[in-house]
Amino acid sequence: MPANRSRSRETPAVGIRAHRLTKRYGTRVAVDQLSFTAQPGVVTGFLGPNGAGKSTTMRMLLGLTTPTAGTITIGGRHITDLDDPPRTVGALLDARAVHPHRTASDHLLAFAQTMGLRRERVDEVLDLVGLTHAAGRRAGEFSLGMNQRLGIATALLGDPGVLVLDEPLNGLDPEGIRWIRTLMRDLAGEGRTVLFSSHLMSEMELTADNLVVVGQGRLIAEAALDDFVRANTTQAVTVRAVSPAELARALDRVGISYTPGPASSFVVTGADTATVGKIAAAEGIVLDELTRVRESLEDVFLRLTHDVTEYEGHAA
Amino acid sequence: MNLLRSEWTKLRSVRGTWIAAVSTVASAAVLGVLGISDLLGGSPADLPDGWDPTATSLRGFLFAQLIIGMLGALSVTPEYGTGMIGTSLVFVPARSRLLAAKATVVAAVALVVGLVTTVLSFGVVQVVLIGASLPAAGPGDPGVVRALVAGTLYLTLIGLLGVAVGSLTRSTTASLAALVGALLLVPALGPGLPGALGDLFARYWPVTAGQAAYAVVPVDGVAPGLGLGLLALAAAGTGAASHVALRVRDI
Repeated sequence: MPANRSRSRETPAVGIRAHRLTKRYGTRVAVDQLSFTAQPGVVTGFLGPNGAGKSTTMRMLLGLTTPTAGTITIGGRHITDLDDPPRTVGALLDARAVHPHRTASDHLLAFAQTMGLRRERVDEVLDLVGLTHAAGRRAGEFSLGMNQRLGIATALLGDPGVLVLDEPLNGLDPEGIRWIRTLMRDLAGEGRTVLFSSHLMSEMELTADNLVVVGQGRLIAEAALDDFVRANTTQAVTVRAVSPAELARALDRVGISYTPGPASSFVVTGADTATVGKIAAAEGIVLDELTRVRESLEDVFLRLTHDVTEYEGHAA
Repeated sequence: MNLLRSEWTKLRSVRGTWIAAVSTVASAAVLGVLGISDLLGGSPADLPDGWDPTATSLRGFLFAQLIIGMLGALSVTPEYGTGMIGTSLVFVPARSRLLAAKATVVAAVALVVGLVTTVLSFGVVQVVLIGASLPAAGPGDPGVVRALVAGTLYLTLIGLLGVAVGSLTRSTTASLAALVGALLLVPALGPGLPGALGDLFARYWPVTAGQAAYAVVPVDGVAPGLGLGLLALAAAGTGAASHVALRVRDI
């Protein structure tokens, strides 16, 4: 387990554990027997299409919604059983969940005071998220990006060991996205548990260590990001010869299937780059390009969640 | 104590609270003066039977109570409107404690606002009455201090009722509708119901009974202590209902 390098207090590292978690609204099942864990020291990406039950799961974790069945715990305990909830878990649920007339610093102060903290801590977190200049401005005047930063500041107030962030990258500009990514990686590097949700696979790629993929409330996959990619992506090779006809004949001869790609290239799925290169060398064929291509993670995600996507668009 | 400080920060940091507080005080005083304006220039002989300059000076409560009730409701409803209640409950997962802190802070604010409203309305109207050479009341007169204390407590209880209504309805507009109904419509229309039911509303509807508490000249209603008691009971009952609802419902 990574060392608690800069945690200001000695707190035991705690993880999140969902066990057969279920939430039904009437006959609709929002979360269906979902089990997963989020470990300290790593960033866990909670991935699923809209309506997959990610927010409902997070709200059950935070004690805002009561599960129909199953449990979801922080360090083995329900949030209401924690000794010091705001110093154990911090959350960003909805960046717009601020009173539009209240200033950023008063918003933070009200929550800091629940823990007996004072303005100094408010100033610290404002500085941490880069909002010092906007401390006295009303939250209603903020851009979505500034509201996301204010939400992150709120989550960090109690210096908690567990962070739960619902769609933290939503609506941010590239600079904001990079900032939150770095922050989440740093927080996990300090030994904290970081669980963040997204409906975009691309947001997971540079951020998450582990993935929990859900669709229609059910667990689709739980794995390290790298393993998930390796297990679910099919490798392909793009090859282009100076003389495409010769290459086609050579491939036909050894029985390797291919499909025509752009710019008179071929996309080969049954062999790796070395095999294709050897075939070409044996025939004395001059190659222009030989590349390993990977199915994009977005494609993998869409394929995996296709069967369980609730709201699917139909092309007109 | 931490929670009270937090809820006070929430309440004081939005201008709606201050607008509501000032409006409560100002509307009660202005309406109190307007209420006696048709008497000015007349003689004491024209005054109605059972002239009660104290109760008369507090007639602006009819409107002011609605604002102080909304002040209470607004301590809760914007948190639901924006979704901030979720964050509040992550910091304070014990829902009962959060509601109790809100109610305590609103009670303290409403007590101060209620006291200022009562004293100012009383004082301004008595000064106008004296200026018009009409019989006025003074704080030394029998029953006056009791009536002013009752008026202050009445407004405080309405503020607390607002917290309970806000927490039950989770909506600013629904709170306003509920308060208009309970504070204005039922007291006006209830007594018109036939027979015993009408009498019941005329005397025992908690709001009507509470208003009888701040009269010096006894009105055809319940005794002051019982009147405030009924209102307190109604506020406590609504508060208990909102407490149960907060504990049971998903946020």
